[in-house]
Amino acid sequence: MRRALLALLVVAVAGAVVFYVLTIPRTVPASELPAHKPDLANGEYMFTAGGCAECHATPEKKCNDPKTQDKHVLSGGRCLKTPFGVFNVPNISPDKEAGIGNWSTLDFVNALKRGIAPGGEHLYPAFPYTSYQRMTYADLIDLKAYLDTLPASKNVPPPHELGFPFNIRRGLGLWQLLYVDGKDFVPDPKQSAELNRGAYLVMGPGHCAECHSSRYLWGGIIKSEEFAGARNPEGKGTVPNITPSDDGIGDWSLNDISYLLETGNTPDFDVIGESMAAVQENMAKLTAADRDAIAAFIKALPARPDAVPKSEQKKKDAKDEDAAPGGDTKTGGSKEPDDGSDY
Amino acid sequence: MQKLMMVACTLVGLAAYATVAISAEDLVAAVKERRHLMKEVVAPNAKLGGQMVKGTVAFDTTKAAAAMNEISGVPDKYVKLFPKGTEHGAVKDSEAKATIWDDFDKFKATAQKLKDASAKAAGAAAQGQGTFTAAFNDMTKVCKECHETFREKLEQ
Ligand code: HEC
Ligand code: HEC
Ligand code: HEC
Repeated sequence: MRRALLALLVVAVAGAVVFYVLTIPRTVPASELPAHKPDLANGEYMFTAGGCAECHATPEKKCNDPKTQDKHVLSGGRCLKTPFGVFNVPNISPDKEAGIGNWSTLDFVNALKRGIAPGGEHLYPAFPYTSYQRMTYADLIDLKAYLDTLPASKNVPPPHELGFPFNIRRGLGLWQLLYVDGKDFVPDPKQSAELNRGAYLVMGPGHCAECHSSRYLWGGIIKSEEFAGARNPEGKGTVPNITPSDDGIGDWSLNDISYLLETGNTPDFDVIGESMAAVQENMAKLTAADRDAIAAFIKALPARPDAVPKSEQKKKDAKDEDAAPGGDTKTGGSKEPDDGSDY
Repeated sequence: MQKLMMVACTLVGLAAYATVAISAEDLVAAVKERRHLMKEVVAPNAKLGGQMVKGTVAFDTTKAAAAMNEISGVPDKYVKLFPKGTEHGAVKDSEAKATIWDDFDKFKATAQKLKDASAKAAGAAAQGQGTFTAAFNDMTKVCKECHETFREKLEQ
């Protein structure tokens, strides 16, 4: 009996040590930061491409309002509902107490490339650093310098509302071991400069995969289903498949994709909405060359079938609808042909 | 006198019946008709305009102007198709947000903007593709503005 207890204790201690070692925050050493004179205009450009304001500016009215107040005041307060609980987005304005005014450039780089805040605190990937980690040091240094020029705000958003075990930040170290390496995007020398630029914008600042890909239960993106669509975490319906397949947008031309990013109009002239509306408005502010580069990269993605079969999602939504009060089922005369076109 | 009472009763009864009828079929019909206007009139004409802007269909002054005029004919009819009780969730396939009835004047004003912007694009067609493109893209901003505020998109 004593022996068994002892063995158990040894296993427990060993487990704790392993956990401790595996979850040690892995950060970028100061020596890795290049000497780079910040370019504020490029910093602002990265701010737009990265959509930082969509999460960090204060929502218009309710905490989940898709629209935001002044995009330059990053006082936080948006709430993001996820399967793990509710995240309340923090203040990243240059205020020294409420925001990140005391952070060095290295601190900032570690947050975006490693998901680690000063003091070794692990950050939740609801902050899409899984994409931002691909950004170059130069772009991040510019971005930090730009953020420093924005107005400070004293707002202190409420803490996240997460259940056990998700409320233990340290545990994120294990997750980061799988999904975070802080490596820059590596251009493919076999591809054109345009395609590489598009890939950088999509996989890095644009973080397009974060919404358009399905995930494992623990929140990691399923690589083999990247960009093939996902359940909409915010509500019902799906985030569409944007690979060039029959299920996706295989019938869109390059020009159709660029035009969508510029104007928000799909080829069938349905108008893009939901969370994509804000993304599109940011894309509209990029250069035409960059929008074309993004389109070229999207068009060159491997064609994939829908990760979330539309029929399955429709059934689920129909059930939700019937359960909702006032759901009217007896009028079902106008069944739409399921051409998946312009809804 | 008795006859008069009977007539009155019948009339009241009919009126009551008519109200009931509105809340059933007519609401569904209103949703169907307004969807038709967006889906079968506004969107295809916008699509044609878009194809000319993108150059996938050759730019044609007359056709571009006609398409924009068709859109311009919709808003006045459109705003009459929103009886109370046809919001998303109350009638099948309705994508109308309840905000429409919270601020019906704003909804009507946004529809008027579409009418004006499409009429402007129709006029711009005569001045060539460049002018048309600018006016057309401005018009589609109104589509977006209205949908963002007043439309609850059903699933993809
Ligand atoms: C999808 C929403 C989202 C987007 C987009 C987003 N963030 Fe965040 N961000 C978050 C959330 C949520 C947190 C809190 C994470 C945590 O508490 O672990 C966060 C945390 C941070 C932090 C750490 C703040 C602190 O006090 O610990 C920084 C710095 C940051 N974000 C910068 C950025 C920048 C720069 C961008 C744009 C390039 C950006 N974020 C885009 C959601 C987002
Ligand atoms: C915050 C989540 C989010 C991000 C980030 C995001 N998207 Fe989207 N995207 C959506 C949603 C939701 C839709 C569907 C919108 C609708 O139906 O109105 C969509 C629609 C699209 C469509 C139209 C597809 C179709 O079939 O109609 C394209 C193309 C697209 N996104 C490309 C991109 C690109 C490129 C990026 C990166 C620059 C990106 N998205 C980033 C959520 C997102
Ligand atoms: C005044 C507001 C308003 C304007 C302006 C507007 N729409 Fe709409 N649109 C709506 C509303 C509201 C719905 C949903 C109506 C419903 O389901 O009852 C809708 C639905 C749609 C639909 C989906 C139809 C269906 O049922 O499948 C399409 C497509 C569409 N609009 C295209 C456009 C285009 C293109 C423009 C611009 C040229 C435009 N709309 C301008 C309010 C507007």
